[in-house]
Amino acid sequence: MSQSYWLTNVRLENGFTYNENETITGTETGNYHIKIESGKISSILSVKESITDPDPQHDVHGLLMVPSFKEMHIHIDKTYYGGPWKACMPAINGVKTRIEEEQVLLPELLPTAKVRAEKMLDLLLDFGSTHIRTHCNIDPVIGLKNLEATIQALEGYKDKLTYEIVAFPQHGLLRSDSVRLIREAMKNGANLVGGVDPATIDENIERSLETIMDIAVEHNSDIDVHLHDPDHLGLFTMQRLASLTEDAGWQGRVTVSHASGLADLSVPEATGIAERFSETGISITSTVPIFRTIPIPLLHEKGVKVELGNDSITDHWTPFGIGDNLEKAGRLAERFRMIEERSLAQSLQFITGGVTPLNQDGVKAWPNVGDEANIVLLEASCSAEAVARRAKRAAVIFRGNVVSGSISSFETTGV
Amino acid sequence: MNRIYWLKNVRLECGYRKENERVTGTITGLFHLLMEDGRITKIVKDGDAIRDDLPVEDAKGLLALPSFIEKHVHLDKTLMGDVWRACTPSSSVIERFENEKRVLPSIATSTCKRAESLLEILLASGSAHIRTHVDIYPEAGLQNLEQVQQALAGYSNRLSSEIVAFAQHGLLRSGSVKLVREALRNGAGIVGAVDPATVDNNIEASLVQLMDLAVEANADVDLHLHDPGHLGTFTMKRLAALTKQAGWEGRVALSHAFGIGDVSREEAYELADILREAGISIVTSVPINRQMPPVDLLHERGVEVSVGNDNIFDVWSPLGNGDILERAGRLAERFKWIDEVSLSRTLGYITGGKTPLDDKGNQVWPKVGDAGSLVLIDASCSAEAVARRSERKAVIYKGNLVSGSLYKQKQSIER
Amino acid sequence: MNEAYWLTNVTLESGFVFENERIDRTKTATYNMYIKNGIIKDLQLASTMPLKTDGPVHDAGKLLALPPFKEMHNHLDKTYLGLPWKSCTPVPNLIERLKLEAKELAELAETGQLRAERMLQLLLSGGATHVRTHVNIDPYIGTKNLEEIQRALYRFKGKMTYEIVAFPQHGLLRTNSKGLMRQAMKEGASLVGGLDPGGVDNNIEASLYEMVDLAVEFDADIDIHIHDPGHLGLYTIKKLASLIDEAGWKNRAAISHAFALGDVSIGESNELASELSNLGIAIMSTVPINRVMPPIDSLHEKGVHVALGCDGFYDSWSPFGTGDMLEKAGRLAERYNWKDEYALSQSLQFITGGVKTLDHEGNRLWPKVGNDASMVFVDASCAAEAIARRSTRAAVMVDGNLVYGGLDRESALKSN
Repeated sequence: MSQSYWLTNVRLENGFTYNENETITGTETGNYHIKIESGKISSILSVKESITDPDPQHDVHGLLMVPSFKEMHIHIDKTYYGGPWKACMPAINGVKTRIEEEQVLLPELLPTAKVRAEKMLDLLLDFGSTHIRTHCNIDPVIGLKNLEATIQALEGYKDKLTYEIVAFPQHGLLRSDSVRLIREAMKNGANLVGGVDPATIDENIERSLETIMDIAVEHNSDIDVHLHDPDHLGLFTMQRLASLTEDAGWQGRVTVSHASGLADLSVPEATGIAERFSETGISITSTVPIFRTIPIPLLHEKGVKVELGNDSITDHWTPFGIGDNLEKAGRLAERFRMIEERSLAQSLQFITGGVTPLNQDGVKAWPNVGDEANIVLLEASCSAEAVARRAKRAAVIFRGNVVSGSISSFETTGV
Repeated sequence: MNRIYWLKNVRLECGYRKENERVTGTITGLFHLLMEDGRITKIVKDGDAIRDDLPVEDAKGLLALPSFIEKHVHLDKTLMGDVWRACTPSSSVIERFENEKRVLPSIATSTCKRAESLLEILLASGSAHIRTHVDIYPEAGLQNLEQVQQALAGYSNRLSSEIVAFAQHGLLRSGSVKLVREALRNGAGIVGAVDPATVDNNIEASLVQLMDLAVEANADVDLHLHDPGHLGTFTMKRLAALTKQAGWEGRVALSHAFGIGDVSREEAYELADILREAGISIVTSVPINRQMPPVDLLHERGVEVSVGNDNIFDVWSPLGNGDILERAGRLAERFKWIDEVSLSRTLGYITGGKTPLDDKGNQVWPKVGDAGSLVLIDASCSAEAVARRSERKAVIYKGNLVSGSLYKQKQSIER
Repeated sequence: MNEAYWLTNVTLESGFVFENERIDRTKTATYNMYIKNGIIKDLQLASTMPLKTDGPVHDAGKLLALPPFKEMHNHLDKTYLGLPWKSCTPVPNLIERLKLEAKELAELAETGQLRAERMLQLLLSGGATHVRTHVNIDPYIGTKNLEEIQRALYRFKGKMTYEIVAFPQHGLLRTNSKGLMRQAMKEGASLVGGLDPGGVDNNIEASLYEMVDLAVEFDADIDIHIHDPGHLGLYTIKKLASLIDEAGWKNRAAISHAFALGDVSIGESNELASELSNLGIAIMSTVPINRVMPPIDSLHEKGVHVALGCDGFYDSWSPFGTGDMLEKAGRLAERYNWKDEYALSQSLQFITGGVKTLDHEGNRLWPKVGNDASMVFVDASCAAEAIARRSTRAAVMVDGNLVYGGLDRESALKSN
């Protein structure tokens, strides 16, 4: 693809429309010409204006442009995706069963790990995610091998997405004696320090959290801990984490994945920890599970950054993943009854790292000249429709490069 | 006792003591009450001289509270006065019905004598008004009613009473409509029934029949409603509608009403408003073996709530001692009403709303002209009386000493 | 009372009457008891042998004798009993309650002995002859409360046996009280106490470790308050169990409250119950009615020792409570719908330290020749009635001496 080109007749959102009672009735959009140059948006013209330079033009016939998505929690290193169908085994002993299973399974999957990871990346790209945060197993059985496979796969996608790798001690940082391995992983390409259930897996909340913090500070890296532990146990662990974050000065550098315990708490209890997380800049990543959904609107209201992820596509833990973060946003909107125009449009922020074409007040916020050209082109009249109707992705662009779909001579469905 | 006499040295509550806007105690003072023809006709402060030759009784500083109301007992069911026996386990409520029908007629001590034993205890606890349910069903005819009326007749100058003609075995199910009608003509002033859904199997027909009987006899209603969750709340809503239709606001009570405690708080609020608008009151026995109605919420929304003992040593329960003040203490414990004001306000649930002080701390009882019915308690204030289940030294009904004694008083050992 | 005497006409439970293979009611019989030096030396059915003796004879007037009760969770140092009435200040959580208490402690310490004696008398009149009391050990009053309580307990020598738990009410780690705890253990506290390693000390592992460490150092039993709810409490209890196992402290630890066991699923609490039973970890409960409580019925079924207590009452925490252990057992029976004769009779063991009068076939387990002559005399026809009807306690006997009430039935019953 050439370094500079125009996308013409792109639909952008301009604002909300209102009725006489000041209720929002719809989204006003307009058509624009967007110039992409050296991976950035270098010019935005209304269709009334003419293009004067000779660079190639691609007419997208009114496709809606939204920021590209972020897949903030996936495990591309261990999957059945890309291979033959295989259901799960029953987990008689809960998580312990899965851990034992992995000790045998992961070495078996290793030969196919890189190829399958690449297939997952293709899937995620097709759905519009151009940033991936993947957790990678670091454990005594597989050592750093999954990490190697992950890095190899991701290196090959350098031009298509950005990524972060979390060194993830799935079998328990302390429980499986993986501290040294995690340190090694950090020196060998992992970007974040991970962890899992300091209480029920490591059986030592304090020491587990302190160790994670130590390794992170040592390597000047961020943290992303898997926390499933329920009700007050989860709450207590989160509070300890917040305190250690403050002590270390690691504000804004910590994420809790799942934070399932929040689903069990009363509103005052959840509000308390939400405010604490907001103060310490601790973010939460959720898969919006059907049966134990955490109070995302409450967290958001209190200023906690919430992002979404698929966790898995199809593997030994669950066969139900889809990989489509727009679908995930739609599920969030459905779960929390975000049924009207504004809340639907705003729900996009949970999969774009906070960016939406219009802000909360309906003022244009994106795109701006100078922004990186990370774009999804959708068949929808506005982002509210895109979320609600899980709009078809026509093309995905990363730093100006089309990484999925196409922008040249195709049939539109006449939006 | 004399027709007219001074009751001297009575402790009365005068107000709340405050420190920095917080209530820290109750202010009381010693007063002399002139009892005349069953009413309080003069109230003078201790220190003011009394210049007459009227007889004097000395209350020796005992605290006076309005006499209590026992809002829910079954004088005909109690085994009090007969020998000890535990309950027989039964697998269903119907089984217990059949058991009761068999056992009661076979007890050596007559219904009248057993009712008298219980009345003695209720009176000694401070209850000078009794609402008793009396079982009406074909096998027993009006016998229970007659026996209970006989017992009450012997106590007519010691307490007041009302009788609920209670179709224990189902108004429709046991074919008791005619008998209940007769009972209403023979001295029962209230119509009672039980669980239109699970006992009568026809909510609408049962409730309509209940209301018809009430309107026909110009009688109040007191329905036993145990039915749980939304089954219970649905029944309550139907009853509210029928109550308004009949214009019977202020004349209907729901005993137990467990369903209100089973549903969500939002639904409970909604139901409370409906109950208040229909003038329906709730009677509770403060059970500890299942969820009970949220008395705090009901009170907040202006629904009248009162407390009764319900089963006292009978076929249904081997427990119970008839002490209504103890039950008020249990209510306070259940809802954590531990401060001075909350504890003293709890008294209202066993006195039909009468408390010495109103919620702002103004003295509202006793007033000249009030009935001379009071309980003399060994306590420093009503908060203490409720929390510590203080000893009832004497009960005065319409000017007459009907229980306990003003003589031979030992200084109490702190209980 | 005399060193040696016959106690005649004592009603004792002697068996069950079965009907259709179900226990229908309790059989009792009248006995004569020979008591010497505080021990029951002989036990005879009153009807079989006419009593021939020159020694002193006391007539129990057919009162029912039951094993004496044990108050297994009290705070003798906190109560206002003996002082004028005072209600409580509501607070939103435990930490706020601790702050309020801290303000009062020094002032209350002055009247410690008086208030504790009042409480002891109240417990005695209900039939309790043993008390396990927790005593605050914290920087606000040091070991002063311990001194006052010990003085009060000394005055009840011969009437009430006791165990004192050194209780770091304001948090072992939170108030850095290990040193003070050591002092308390040296000064006569016999158990090491503790409190909410998670919710108060904010470090579950370290807090539990320090507590068990102290217990091992002083070769003392443990009784820890755990209010922490849900899976937080569950995790704490599991951690404690593993430390107890490691330290070899079987049958030497108790958990007071353990609310978490009622918060989690019955499957989870049953699983933990087996572990508690194996390690002989007991649960002390106050049978609260304003929050979820541990599933005592299933804990008991799994072999966990459960005992009841009144907790602190008439104090800054709660204005309710009566100190009546029989009432507490009745409340337990009410909570679990134990209404029939057998179920009611079985509730007694939770207030007698496990002592039952009859086994499940009706064979007498208590009293036996050789037992201490310590018992409660109740105006009831059987234990089931005593529990259901909260029968009057006419008298309490400890080691052959009457320490409360009297055996003269008329006057004894009137005194209540």
